[in-house]
Amino acid sequence: MTAADPDRSMPRADDPIAEVRNLTVAFEMDRGQSRVVDDLSVDIERGEILGVVGESGSGKSMFASSLMDAVVEPGVASGDVTYHPPSGESVDVLELSKGELQELRWEEVAMVFQGAMSSFNPVRTIRDHFVETLSAHDYNVSDGLERARELISDLYMDPERVLSSYPHELSGGMSQRVLIALSLILDPELLVMDEPTAALDLLMQRSIISLLDGIQEKHDLSIVFITHDLPLVAGLADRIAVMYAFEMVEMGPTDELLTDAAHPYTRALLNSTPNLRAPIDRMRSIDGESPDPVNIPSGCSYHPRCPMADEQCREVDPEPYRVDGDHAANCHYWEEAAEAVPAVTEEFDDAGEMGAAATERTPERRSGEPVLSMDDVEVYFEQESSAFSLFSDPDDVKAVDGIDLDVYDEDVVVLVGESGCGKTTLGKTAIGLQRPTGGVVEYRGQDVWQARDLVGDIDIPYEEIRQSLQIIHQDPGSALNTHRRVRAVLETPLKRWYPELDGNDRRERILGMLEYVGMTPPEDYIDRYPFQLSGGEMQRIALIRALLINPELILADEAVSALDVSLRVEMMDLLLELQDTFDTSYLFISHNLANARYITEKADGRIGVMYLGELVEIGSPERIINDPKHPYTQALRWATPELDPDDDPGERPMRKIDIPDAANPPSGCRYHTRCPEAREACRHQRPELVEAEGEEPGYQQAACFREYEDHEYWDSEPITDEDDADSVDSGTGPGTAEADD
Amino acid sequence: MTEKPTDRRADDKESSDDVEEVFGEPTAADGGTPIDGGTAAPFRTTSDVSESRTDRYRRIFRNYVVTPFSIVRNDKRALIGITILTIYSLAGLAAIFFVEPTESFEGQPYVQPFETWEFPFGTNQMGHDLFSQTVHSVVPIFQMMIAGALFTVIVGTTIGVVSGYKGGLADRVLSTLTDVFINLPGLPLVIVLAVLFNPENEVMVGILLSVAAWAGLARSIRSQVLTLREESFVEAARAMDIPTSLILYKEVLPHLMPYVMVNTANAARGVIFSAVGLYFLGILPFTSNNWGVMLNQAYEVDAYFRPIAFHWLIIPVVAITVLSIGLILLAQSLDRVFNPRVRARHADRADIDPEEEEGDATMTMGQV
Repeated sequence: MTAADPDRSMPRADDPIAEVRNLTVAFEMDRGQSRVVDDLSVDIERGEILGVVGESGSGKSMFASSLMDAVVEPGVASGDVTYHPPSGESVDVLELSKGELQELRWEEVAMVFQGAMSSFNPVRTIRDHFVETLSAHDYNVSDGLERARELISDLYMDPERVLSSYPHELSGGMSQRVLIALSLILDPELLVMDEPTAALDLLMQRSIISLLDGIQEKHDLSIVFITHDLPLVAGLADRIAVMYAFEMVEMGPTDELLTDAAHPYTRALLNSTPNLRAPIDRMRSIDGESPDPVNIPSGCSYHPRCPMADEQCREVDPEPYRVDGDHAANCHYWEEAAEAVPAVTEEFDDAGEMGAAATERTPERRSGEPVLSMDDVEVYFEQESSAFSLFSDPDDVKAVDGIDLDVYDEDVVVLVGESGCGKTTLGKTAIGLQRPTGGVVEYRGQDVWQARDLVGDIDIPYEEIRQSLQIIHQDPGSALNTHRRVRAVLETPLKRWYPELDGNDRRERILGMLEYVGMTPPEDYIDRYPFQLSGGEMQRIALIRALLINPELILADEAVSALDVSLRVEMMDLLLELQDTFDTSYLFISHNLANARYITEKADGRIGVMYLGELVEIGSPERIINDPKHPYTQALRWATPELDPDDDPGERPMRKIDIPDAANPPSGCRYHTRCPEAREACRHQRPELVEAEGEEPGYQQAACFREYEDHEYWDSEPITDEDDADSVDSGTGPGTAEADD
Repeated sequence: MTEKPTDRRADDKESSDDVEEVFGEPTAADGGTPIDGGTAAPFRTTSDVSESRTDRYRRIFRNYVVTPFSIVRNDKRALIGITILTIYSLAGLAAIFFVEPTESFEGQPYVQPFETWEFPFGTNQMGHDLFSQTVHSVVPIFQMMIAGALFTVIVGTTIGVVSGYKGGLADRVLSTLTDVFINLPGLPLVIVLAVLFNPENEVMVGILLSVAAWAGLARSIRSQVLTLREESFVEAARAMDIPTSLILYKEVLPHLMPYVMVNTANAARGVIFSAVGLYFLGILPFTSNNWGVMLNQAYEVDAYFRPIAFHWLIIPVVAITVLSIGLILLAQSLDRVFNPRVRARHADRADIDPEEEEGDATMTMGQV
């Protein structure tokens, strides 16, 4: 086996269900041919779960589509995709006729798409979707529906209720699970999942992942699981293939790839992925950007970003080198990669130690007058009522329900929670963009809304408050007006707040800021339109725009979650660096505990956990991560995947997967419907935030009766699922128990 | 709060003095070349050379004329549209100076078109020169068209944008008003108004004809603004306390411009069609000669089944149709002018946004 022959040195499966050879997907564009998959070869073993990991735009979705020859027009897939059915002739998928393709799709190879909601027809019931699929493939409908019921209940949902509902009646997590059931209805051999959980919350992601394992075994499936989130598949996949710049750069068994990656990109990606355990000061993002599909670098496509690139890398495209066994890497110098890009995880010992230095000064720093203080803030949204319900009571959605939170100078607070828990609403209320329906928001002691309405004694005029509280949005693409150049975007705040600056001053200040955030040469960027910028660059512009007027507090609403994994750490570092320069406080919003941990630990901040409009726990990152007191925080902690092949999620610490309706939240402690520790007392009484036991004040507070020393909770009966009439679509132990085998 | 910027401000002035000698070479400033070392220190802003007035005008010209023109130049639809409109305008202007208004029995009745150079479009029953009538119609028609289109678009866009963006009571009032106008029967209303006011001024006719036309535009603009106002960049502008009028003008309106342009053209066509229609029906007073009046007169003598008078009908119809096609083509191509992707490709790198020019006043203040 020589490195010269790619086919030889690539790990071959003994019994492949699909073989992909020299697959290329190309689009003809104005500016040249865009190769979104470039000469890719891979084997998919029968019965394995292959995780395909790549950043956005690395061609992974196109790879998925070509497995079913479903590349969208005008893309053209060439090469060989050979499918080997369990019995009978092997077929070349790309050569099939329309009729043959229809037989292959869904009956042999099925696919689960990313946006479950848009995969369903909103005017047809779920049952119709199953019936349609069955009859399109001439299957027996009643047998098929029986199978559908079984699949749905395997996924912890009530089959009858789900089948008769319309897509909008299902939550995001439920419709994603229904989509999985729908993909399995014709008993396919190979299931291709393209980011099946990307749109879902952490808890739901983890729950679905733990269900998948069981499903795979039960139905004897081979699964190709495509994701951008390496930790997510770490516990699930048998093998992982890493895609970079439209080709596979490394492939190997999961544990080997995670502990002993041979490609510098994989190693760098592992180092840049925030997780809960790796020491934060050693995480690095990868410099540079992924290449453009029209203009792939010659030689090794990673060489512009690789620390060990040399002449050979620039000129010769590396073939797969056999590392050992099934592990191969497309790198000329794979043997030296471990030295050139040392793993951050290598020498960490105890997770508890790392934040020790920061902990010491935590409570003292938060003395003095807070920049922003929220007292018993409530935001209720009235639901649109139709003309006929004019006289009934309006159904309020309690987006934020009685939250107290103080943010101090140079403070960092991260709000974590599932979508719909009210964290964005709370954030916008904090910076005065959303008027609270109750409670007080104060900026340095001045009631923000009184200042706005010119009521009472005003110490700080609203103008100044407005200048002091700024926002960075989640999606950099929509945060910048597509019709305005960088210069115009950034001049707007300057003109408003520094009218004394003339045009050339403004230009120079903008150039200086651009350069400061690493957009060099700034003259190149200043006249660009947003579409000429990458996601990371757009987010930097949004950040500069907020900083230019020198605010005191910036709300960063999921500011990094739209960026590529390899850029997130860099962006968070930039935010913190700018905090030092500008003395700003940050209120971050995140659904990702790993990102929250990274930023708070680095900045010595706090993590606040929200659930259904309430703050259930708040504390320093090391307390929240290592010793969560509230059962919901424990669940979040459970749901955050680790970069560890042996990462065993354990039993799901929740009684139900699905989140209750925010318009009609449970009484008492809102988490009691899902809480494994819930007792009768939780149904009726609402716990307040109290200092966690055994801690100095100021480190950690939780709103759970278990933190109360003496409470009737301790004497009341535990709530079990039998008590809950509507617990059908929940799952206790059984599923996870099998799944964890 | 304001100390830091003030300090920076002081620094700016020092270094701007340093580079004072470069003054007078304003092109260096927009050439994108770093002139001074100011960019090396991240937050110390330094102003380099000041811009001269001519330079600023050159930028306005480049932004509003050169770039749009260079985009439009490569677009066939635009070229045809512009050519048509230019020919009409020239004909209309030329008519005022060079073409005598026609009189009765200027020539023989029913001279066929293209027979003699004296009457290129022929004559009618009364020996009127149809060419003269046709070109003399251009100015009044254009007046009506422009007045009507501007009225429709300005009222429609303003009401739509304000009610969509403001919401609440303003929205309810304006939406109700819009609904009322949408539900008014347009043509009968115009007829009644025309009879009541008997408008003789072309501008008045144009506005009268569009009195109900703005409502549909307002409604669809409103629905677009409803989605735009939720965009992050609008929220960011609100967070920066940018005045609402500026948000609407700078952030919201550019997204609506392609739609507004197409509607301008449609409104203009609408005005021509209804004006011609009403003149044809004899509802509007015949103050001047125009295509509608020509059609009416031709109809009166049953030109539609008399081959000898046929050209009397055809000529105004062709004039109207070609103008309408020209307007539509131009409007369609104009949406490319507002497309940032196309703009970026056509603007040279030194080209800058119109915002620059607003700094004019403050810039002078800053240098005092």
